[in-house]
Amino acid sequence: MSKEEKKPFSQTMAEWRQFVYNPRSGEFLGRTAKSWGLILLFYLVFYGFLAALFTFTMWVMLQTLSGDIPKYRDRIRSPGLMISPKPVTALEFYFNKSDSQSYAEYVSTLKQFLKSYDDSKQSKNIACTAGKLFEQNEDRAIKQACQFNRTKLGSCSGVEDDTFGYAKGTPCVLVKMNRIIGLKPEGEPHIECLPKEEGKVQITYFPDGGMIDLMYFPYYGKKLHADYLQPLVAVQLAIISNRTKEEVTIECKIMGSPNLKNEDDRDKFLGRISFKIQMSE
Amino acid sequence: MGKKRSDIYSVEIHGTQDPEKTDKEDEEEKYKDLKGNKKKSKKTEDLKKELDLDDHKLSKEELEEKYTTSISKGLTSARAAEILARDGPNALTPPKSTPEIIKFLKQMVGGFSILLWVGALLCWIAFGIQVAQGVASAFDNLYLGVVLALVVILTGIFAYYQEAKSTNIMASFSKMIPQQALVIRDGEKREVSAEQLVVGDMVEIKGGDRIPADIRLIFAQGCKVDNSSLTGESEPQSRSCDFTHENPLETKNIAFYSTTCLEGTATGMVINTGDQTIIGRIASLASGVGNEKTPIAIEIEHFVHIVAGVAVSIGVLFFIIAVSMKYKVLDSIIFLIGIIVANVPEGLLATVTVSLSLTAKRMAKKNCLVKNLEAVETLGSTSIICSDKTGTLTQNRMTVAHLWFDDQIYSADTSEEQTTQSFDQSSQSWAALSKVVTLCNRAEFKPGQENVPIMKRVVVGDASETALLKFAEVILGDVMGIRKRNRKLAEIPFNSTNKFQLSIHETEDPNDKRFLMVMKGAPERILERCSTIMINGEEQPLDRERAEAFQTAYMELGGLGERVLGFCHLYLPEDEFPDTYPFDTDSMNFPTSNLCFVGLLSMIDPPRSTVPDAVSKCRSAGIKVIMVTGDHPITAKAIAKSVGIISANSETVEDIAKRLNVPVEQVNKEDARAAVINGMELKDMTTEQLDEILINHSEIVFARTSPQQKLIIVEGCQRQDAVVAVTGDGVNDSPALKKADIGIAMGIAGSDAAKNAADMILLDDNFASIVTGVEEGRLIFDNLKKTIAYTLTKNIAELCPFLIYIIASVPLPIGTITILFIDLGTDIIPSVALAYEKAESDIMNRRPRHKKKDRLVNEQLAVYSYLQIGIIQSIGAFLAYFTVYAEQGWLPNTLLGLRVNWEDDYYNDIEDSYGQEWTRYQRTYLQWTGYTAFFVSITIQQVADLIIRKTRRNSIFQQGLLRNKVIWVGIVSQIAIALILSYGLGSVTALNFTPLRVQYWFVAMPYAILIWVYDEIRKLFIRQYPGSWWDKNMYY
Repeated sequence: MSKEEKKPFSQTMAEWRQFVYNPRSGEFLGRTAKSWGLILLFYLVFYGFLAALFTFTMWVMLQTLSGDIPKYRDRIRSPGLMISPKPVTALEFYFNKSDSQSYAEYVSTLKQFLKSYDDSKQSKNIACTAGKLFEQNEDRAIKQACQFNRTKLGSCSGVEDDTFGYAKGTPCVLVKMNRIIGLKPEGEPHIECLPKEEGKVQITYFPDGGMIDLMYFPYYGKKLHADYLQPLVAVQLAIISNRTKEEVTIECKIMGSPNLKNEDDRDKFLGRISFKIQMSE
Repeated sequence: MGKKRSDIYSVEIHGTQDPEKTDKEDEEEKYKDLKGNKKKSKKTEDLKKELDLDDHKLSKEELEEKYTTSISKGLTSARAAEILARDGPNALTPPKSTPEIIKFLKQMVGGFSILLWVGALLCWIAFGIQVAQGVASAFDNLYLGVVLALVVILTGIFAYYQEAKSTNIMASFSKMIPQQALVIRDGEKREVSAEQLVVGDMVEIKGGDRIPADIRLIFAQGCKVDNSSLTGESEPQSRSCDFTHENPLETKNIAFYSTTCLEGTATGMVINTGDQTIIGRIASLASGVGNEKTPIAIEIEHFVHIVAGVAVSIGVLFFIIAVSMKYKVLDSIIFLIGIIVANVPEGLLATVTVSLSLTAKRMAKKNCLVKNLEAVETLGSTSIICSDKTGTLTQNRMTVAHLWFDDQIYSADTSEEQTTQSFDQSSQSWAALSKVVTLCNRAEFKPGQENVPIMKRVVVGDASETALLKFAEVILGDVMGIRKRNRKLAEIPFNSTNKFQLSIHETEDPNDKRFLMVMKGAPERILERCSTIMINGEEQPLDRERAEAFQTAYMELGGLGERVLGFCHLYLPEDEFPDTYPFDTDSMNFPTSNLCFVGLLSMIDPPRSTVPDAVSKCRSAGIKVIMVTGDHPITAKAIAKSVGIISANSETVEDIAKRLNVPVEQVNKEDARAAVINGMELKDMTTEQLDEILINHSEIVFARTSPQQKLIIVEGCQRQDAVVAVTGDGVNDSPALKKADIGIAMGIAGSDAAKNAADMILLDDNFASIVTGVEEGRLIFDNLKKTIAYTLTKNIAELCPFLIYIIASVPLPIGTITILFIDLGTDIIPSVALAYEKAESDIMNRRPRHKKKDRLVNEQLAVYSYLQIGIIQSIGAFLAYFTVYAEQGWLPNTLLGLRVNWEDDYYNDIEDSYGQEWTRYQRTYLQWTGYTAFFVSITIQQVADLIIRKTRRNSIFQQGLLRNKVIWVGIVSQIAIALILSYGLGSVTALNFTPLRVQYWFVAMPYAILIWVYDEIRKLFIRQYPGSWWDKNMYY
């Protein structure tokens, strides 16, 4: 029908202008000021009510939670492994042992990380019985933490060598197991690292054998166990190389404990970690 | 010049066109005037396609020469084959249909598909970039893109399939038994399929045949044809081999394709075949008249625009926000995809199609067969129905309506199922009249119908005689037996010169040796032959007083638009006419004057008994019913009055003039509610005059109109912004059927061309069925509103997570795949279930919706769904999301701003609120648990949403919670699908579902209840304060 022919552009524009502000009826965007006022008031009340209700229901929900331990821990039954320092991008270390700038980042991260392991910070911590789980009484409001001295990390402790071996071409990487509240490892858990390319790397563990002592378990949570220090295993890699540039891939796993998984299909970091180091001269 | 023009005739046939009027130019001028603007007159040109046919003027020899054929021997087979190859088969080309592939592609790009294609494309672009960057999760985007593409393709296939299914119903309709024709070829008669006929063939026709092509008659004997499918005239027309009129359409020596030969035989030469025939040309005209978009298609387009507009603007807005918040462009693109997917109700268009086809099925049960699914709703928004009279409003059979004897008018029962007649039958006059009626009648029941109700029996005979036969059979019973007992000795059948019918019988009384002569015919002719009149069984002289009484009765019955017949008899004196008297009908050796007048009977094609009720329903539903008929204005008006199209107390201009005794011109036209317009008047009207009539009169009858004028009336109505439904059966109706917003063809009486042009087919030809169709159409509009409101609501709950994700950098609350599971999984059956919802109030008591004002998706609906219920749903779902994270160790404050680290594949020791450390996969799994909880919460709240959408105004408790069982099927399916996804498929990683703790199913429950309670309050206020601010803003 002829009525449905396209309107000229100017008319469309005029209609729009009319819609935005209609001087005759005083309508702005199709509503008068009063109408806008009412509708805004309505939504103010409506959303105010909803916000209050949401806040209230959230509050009720949070009241059901304990501040000490989460209600459920079924999504983290087994810990992951992680390394420090963590390169910014993927888990790939690139450094030149003669260029201190190239590893300054790693060194400072390690220093920062190990600060909490300083003896001065561990005055409150106690020396626990090695090889035994350190279970503490439930009525104890503040749980005690076991000491973990940096000296246990040997040449990776940063005490003697403040470049953590990077300057010598024997970089240190700290392997740690993720904290999980209430986790009680069984057996004799220890870290075992294997280079993908055999013979290229000589690996030294601190403490010996990459042992993770059971006395550091269980963990009681951030609030109750504020001084807790998680056990570390330092891995020093002596890269045997003839060339100026060498790349090695290391895979570390937690071994020796039946309840710590390290073979999950989907989770590549559950009880294991793999990282790459490329060192040049 | 003048002579040349006379060769060119218009296809336009006015049923009542004055044969002398050949001044075509003049007529064309008027036609142009009527159509008004230039664009229309171009179409008029089309309509008036030239018809240069002169075969009717040629002699037999000239014809033989022109078509190189022989009248006696016909064509040779070889020549026929040659011509067949040249002209093609003798069949109408079916209206050009869109190629299937185009239809399919249209489904692929229509509606939201474009938006989803864009989403899929963005996914693949993101995938490409991520692969180049070596991102591990790149393949997720590839899959998502594939899934989106699949969604588009599958919904497209589904819509295509639905459309095809409804088209198939039609295809079965148009399939006909191949017609055979008796043709002379190679000097022999043989039967060939009518499709094989070619120009020049000699064909033989006999009574009952369908004319197989346009034929110039060479020989005819008592041949009569029914041209009603072509001209709308229902009177049989005789055909001979004489050239009687310049106009090929008027001349008697041409018979037209697809008309039927009623009686007699004829031989003729084929002069046009297939699309070249007159019918073929008209049929091709119909496809020239553009099909308007259906109202529901416009509404859906409007709705798609709204949703797409919201999706694109929110998408672009947040793309800009994301980029300015220093998100990477790639990430921003991925957000954009999420926003699009969340905003587009993927399943909705499929749901709408299903709902429409459900209604179409329901309507088919009520005898409305819908060809085009969208027409289902069009019927509901109809504001004017232009209805045929014959067969649609009436029963399409003559029935005795009134009797006049003993100086008194009696009315007879005219209903469809009559079994008795209740007027006073004790008078001797009635006994005499019934005898005349029974005996002076040639119609007979076809044998073997003893168990069929009288009114349904098949009768051999014309319409009036059939009416009389059935009337007599109902009252007296065993008419055939009576005739046997009163043996017929002589008979003069009705003819148009003497206008009476006469027969002479022995009487069944063995003691009465007199013969009885009975006669019936045009009342004035019968009266002329009478000298006495029977009053109460006594013969009395027919004096002036009696004659005046007769005149009054005759006028009164005629004024009712009825066909009146007079009846008289004479007992022949025994002495003059002994037993052996040889009656001779040619010499008429018996008296035919000074007879005794017995009475009058009047007949009408009575309205169907369901029609008056249906018309009054239309009236209360605000639908104007306009009668368009080819009949005489008086008959048309009488029927219009009896069915209520013209209500009892309204008057036409002529009525007022008569009452006030002033000339018609002096009457104020606005005083008259009703109007009866003659086709001849209509022809002389300008567009403005027609508009004026359509606006000023609420009750209109168009009489003596040609099918072409229907088109003008339809266009007039459409100028008033009305949604027009038109009924039609003839070929010539097809342009009007096409032009109408909804064309309704008659299933029984309708021609194939009309059925092809129509959107809907009325299987029982009954006007009342249209009204039930209107009801269904209105209901589906209301229910689609509910479906859309239901579907749109959760879009907000799907969209908010992305917005919060971008702004607050929390872990993603719901994934794109999960959203698709809501849109195409849990929500589908419930939204279809809303199509089964019963009406809230009497939908036939409100005005038809205004095409431009009452939108399917209006501001209120969108705002209420998006900004109120949708927001409540989002909050409920977020509560579940925060609960899942908090109970696993991630308190809400920890989550804020966590996104970048959370999604870092190499950050495998992120600390939660309690000091525990999580690997990437552990976090991802938790994220999926969050998705599932969010999904479940939306599902639970959609149950509440579904329940509240059952009504828009009434309380759920007024509507009945359990009345619509399908809703409960929907709810059960919804929950079942969610259970299966969570617990059954929770281990399938690609789907991102996890088995959920039981209590998380109930977290959003308070909000579900809030939705219900809030909506009840909303409805309560709407009912309590109609017209208030609340009503205006909250009623959708």
